[in-house]
Amino acid sequence: MDESPQLHSRRTLSLRFDIPISKTREFWDALREGKLITTRCTKCGNVSFPPQADCPKCMGAEFEWIDLGTEASLVTFTHVRMAPASFAGNDDYTIAIAEVKDGLKVLAWLEGVEAESAKPGMKLRIEARASKEGNPYYVFVPA
Amino acid sequence: MSRVAIVGVGHSRFGRRTDVNLGELAFESIKGAIDDAGVDKKDIGNVVVGSAGGWYEESLPAVVVDEYAGLSGVGTMRVEAACASGSAAVKAAYNSIVSGETDVAMAVGVEKMTEVDTPTSVELIGRAGSYTWEFENYGMTFPAYYALYAVAHMNRFGTTEEDLSRVSVKAHHYGAMNPLAQFQKEITLEKALGSPVVSWPLKLYDACPLSDGSAAVVLASEELAKKLTDTPIWIRGVGYSSDTANLSRRDDYVGLRAAVRAATNAYSMAKVSPGDIDVATAHDCFTIAELMAYEDLGFCKKGEAAKMIRDGETEIGGRIPVNLDGGLKAKGHPIGATGVSMAVEITKQLRGEAGRHQAPIKSGVGLVHNIGGTGHYAYVTILGRD
Repeated sequence: MDESPQLHSRRTLSLRFDIPISKTREFWDALREGKLITTRCTKCGNVSFPPQADCPKCMGAEFEWIDLGTEASLVTFTHVRMAPASFAGNDDYTIAIAEVKDGLKVLAWLEGVEAESAKPGMKLRIEARASKEGNPYYVFVPA
Repeated sequence: MSRVAIVGVGHSRFGRRTDVNLGELAFESIKGAIDDAGVDKKDIGNVVVGSAGGWYEESLPAVVVDEYAGLSGVGTMRVEAACASGSAAVKAAYNSIVSGETDVAMAVGVEKMTEVDTPTSVELIGRAGSYTWEFENYGMTFPAYYALYAVAHMNRFGTTEEDLSRVSVKAHHYGAMNPLAQFQKEITLEKALGSPVVSWPLKLYDACPLSDGSAAVVLASEELAKKLTDTPIWIRGVGYSSDTANLSRRDDYVGLRAAVRAATNAYSMAKVSPGDIDVATAHDCFTIAELMAYEDLGFCKKGEAAKMIRDGETEIGGRIPVNLDGGLKAKGHPIGATGVSMAVEITKQLRGEAGRHQAPIKSGVGLVHNIGGTGHYAYVTILGRD
């Protein structure tokens, strides 16, 4: 189809968000120390991941932090070859969902695995990382 | 409950539409739908605009679209249910008639996705889930979301990359018969299988394109519908549901729970079963999504979708023809327009006006399956001649 004449807008819009994390601050602090923790409701016992201060099951607001450990089992994955604009400088990456403690699942990058060798069921370990800006995050690596 | 019918349909050409802006694009289908219905636009009491937005310059698409079509003053809103925004618009318009608010309502779906560069569109769709937990650090993309389901389905049921490609070949086969489709060319299985990987195991030909397009339907109350047309197409059932923002909170990755719930509710309301469906549209944003839809809709048993596509059961002449307009893959997927476009297609099929891609109509019942995000939203709408 031929390109038609278009008005190229003069105004650009760049968005960066400041996302509140005060209610899950312990999670981020623990992650900086290399630990993955999450919330358990002290009223009904429901465990949430991602962590949340308010229980989505019983609506209770009292919770405790539990350690998720470092072991995980691969559930599913994909190798991304076409990245979003804000990931333009990155190498190709593998995104995985793996089961951790108590049947909870976590989504993160799977590093250190050749594309062909990833298989559902394979044993993984969770490792903490920090971005170059200093933001903590976590990845899976082969166990 | 009072009955509501689709009495007019309109549809723009889908594709990279650098020749029209948002209002002009929507006008193409709005004019078509109003002319087809034979209503005076002054009689329309509610205009619901389905649009995900973000990739075009306007922030208030409903009022922009309404103004261009001379509809300012009408009760209006924009609704968002990601890629199911169109079905959400149809449902909101339907509700305004069922409630007795108005006798005529219009649902318009419109999207312009090509005014920004492709990586920016990929970014905006990739954020359609949980930004903080699944995008910020991990760069999810729309193909990646569905690839996670594809790998699980392949691992559990032995579905193959070739099975996925068969869905694409079927879509292009019928797209070639649709003059409004973005891609009107047949492709071979080899071409689909050999296309570049976008998020393994999904390849370029497993993925719908970025599209511009609009579609519109005029709905009317039972009494008015019977006066306006000899071929009202009744909205027999609407089911809708949702699922978690985070994919990590799903039980499994071989089907969409929201779609199963939406289908169950729609069948129950319409008092029909999968065996009554003459023709359907299924939300094939990716080939794996169409296969999961066969199972989620009860067209086959869990795990047997690959067999259905291999056996040609969803082609014309098969048990339940699916996506005879080319589907999202070949017709194009202007996100907010898709659900309305599906309602247009099934209306035409049930009227017997689908031309070269007409399905045989026996029981007079058709189905629209429209998913938002990765099963984040699901809408199933059942339409009937009676």
